[in-house]
Amino acid sequence: MISKLETKKDEYPRPVEGERQAFMYGNEVVVWAALAAGAECLYGYPITPQNEVMHYWSRLAPDYGGKFLQTEDELSAGFATLGGIMAGARCFSATAGPGTILFQEPLAMAEMMRIPIVLVVQQRGGPSTATVIYSQQEVFLTIFGGNGEGLRIVYSPGSHQEMYDYTLKAFDVAWKHRFPTLVLGDGYQAKMRERVLLYDPAARGMEIEPTVPFVGLPGVPGVDREPAHWRNAFSVEEELYEELEPIINDYYRIAPSLMEKEEGYLDGAELILTGHGIVGRAVRTAVKELREEGFPVGFFRPLTLRPFPGKDLIRILDDCPRLLVVESAQGQLAKLIRISIGGELDHRVQMYPYFRPGLGISAEELVEEAKAILNGKREQKQEKEFSMSML
Amino acid sequence: MKLATKRIAMGGEGGQGVQSAADILAEAAYEEGKEALYIPNFGIEQRGGVSLAFVQIGDEPAGSPKFKQADFVVALSGRSLERLIGFLWEDTIILYDSAWLAPPTVSDQVVGWQSYDTTAPDFFAERGVTDRRQKFPEIKQKVKNIFALPASEIAMEKLHPRVSNVIILGATARLTGVVQLESIKKALENRLASKIKRDPNLKILNFNALELGWEAGERMLKSPAYSAAT
Repeated sequence: MISKLETKKDEYPRPVEGERQAFMYGNEVVVWAALAAGAECLYGYPITPQNEVMHYWSRLAPDYGGKFLQTEDELSAGFATLGGIMAGARCFSATAGPGTILFQEPLAMAEMMRIPIVLVVQQRGGPSTATVIYSQQEVFLTIFGGNGEGLRIVYSPGSHQEMYDYTLKAFDVAWKHRFPTLVLGDGYQAKMRERVLLYDPAARGMEIEPTVPFVGLPGVPGVDREPAHWRNAFSVEEELYEELEPIINDYYRIAPSLMEKEEGYLDGAELILTGHGIVGRAVRTAVKELREEGFPVGFFRPLTLRPFPGKDLIRILDDCPRLLVVESAQGQLAKLIRISIGGELDHRVQMYPYFRPGLGISAEELVEEAKAILNGKREQKQEKEFSMSML
Repeated sequence: MKLATKRIAMGGEGGQGVQSAADILAEAAYEEGKEALYIPNFGIEQRGGVSLAFVQIGDEPAGSPKFKQADFVVALSGRSLERLIGFLWEDTIILYDSAWLAPPTVSDQVVGWQSYDTTAPDFFAERGVTDRRQKFPEIKQKVKNIFALPASEIAMEKLHPRVSNVIILGATARLTGVVQLESIKKALENRLASKIKRDPNLKILNFNALELGWEAGERMLKSPAYSAAT
């Protein structure tokens, strides 16, 4: 029997005992969350701005029985991670930018074969090498980047606390539902330092789905147990369809239970601001400021980008059909919104774009933008045409 | 728009210790129970070039890691100050290392709304006619105050060249009023723990630098220029 990677977890201390306040970098938070979730091995390839995930992991993990291997590229990192997971170990990886592109093949394989994998993506500027700094341009890549149906779960945290919470959660959700689960951070979140409360999930009664080996099971296949078929290649169309249909059905069956969002200040709102990740945080801050100044605005912040919490947004837009979409990309979130609200509502909603591909967005500038819209300084027709044509 | 949170933008040449100073300042605030956020401006340079750091300290968590207007701009070199000009607004206080940067020339245009307080005028008098310092970039935006501190020179003459950033840190901490001296000392000690273990004198050296900077900051706050602008 091929056992789990030769780790001896029981001999090691728990990475986080009870609760602990810390002042940390985002990449460090990712590592502590992975350790607290019981991750055993990281296969990775360096790329800014996620390098420190590997640095901290290789420095901290051995104290808790964790292992590390730097592979020759991200393709290899992805497939090695899948291999470790199939052997029954809790493996994960982290990447960014061009690395996220190379990760698509292993991610698509994971979708086909129902292999749980956690991947943390710290977005950098694109297309291509672009900047090592920051963007929100990897939204579509993390969601729909594979050749397939985007059968993935994507969290978009906006603070170190959420980075910790959702990375922990990703390890549970991935293994529970056996779909690739991604935590979509960015260079700012990776490199900034702020307060976070680390906690032992067990101390909060939070259970993380245990790992199981998929291969090397005891007994003779076909005699002692059903033979396992781990396939990602099919020779007949019907065969693929037969295999794929239940996977797709499974995904959409669990999807509603996975959707998460934050919303606020909706009472009497005449304009809704929306953004995800670190931009969602600026959106929330701007709305709070604007409300304090007496401006009728509310916010909607999707925490899962896939599945997208569209039903909640539809309910909000039914009451207030004016939406300012803010993102450090050219309308990737806006496209997701238009897909999810769809049809008649899409025609009724006045969408104002605030697209800054690869550029940071501050709460201050959103306060100004929202005021301009509320004061009628953004020509509606022009904006509508702009947003339609720019998507 | 004025936020209760203090926004500090620091800049210098790579190796001048801007990132350490900013990080220690943020950590000290965190230790006091304040909400602090520090982020470096990072590019693809491995060394050299301009290094910028952004710190926000307040009672509420910062809304976004970067900001448009800084309450304090701290510049250790001319090139870095050029990169920080976009962050200036009417409430900005500029602090610069006058051992590297020549004080700005006061033109007719700026008289009356900018004041310059050079904390150690004697120092410049001894320099003679050749001023080899970098030129102070032209600033069109009206700011609250501009303070000079020849930190590198003080470090070289009184302490050690390597602690000039700690002098600047002390002055910045006092000027911004966001943290207590004791908290900065604690954060500094945390940061240097392994080095202090090897060489206990490092602690005294850094604390001395910090206190020198703190006192300079204290003098700036008491200066007529500061009260005139406030």
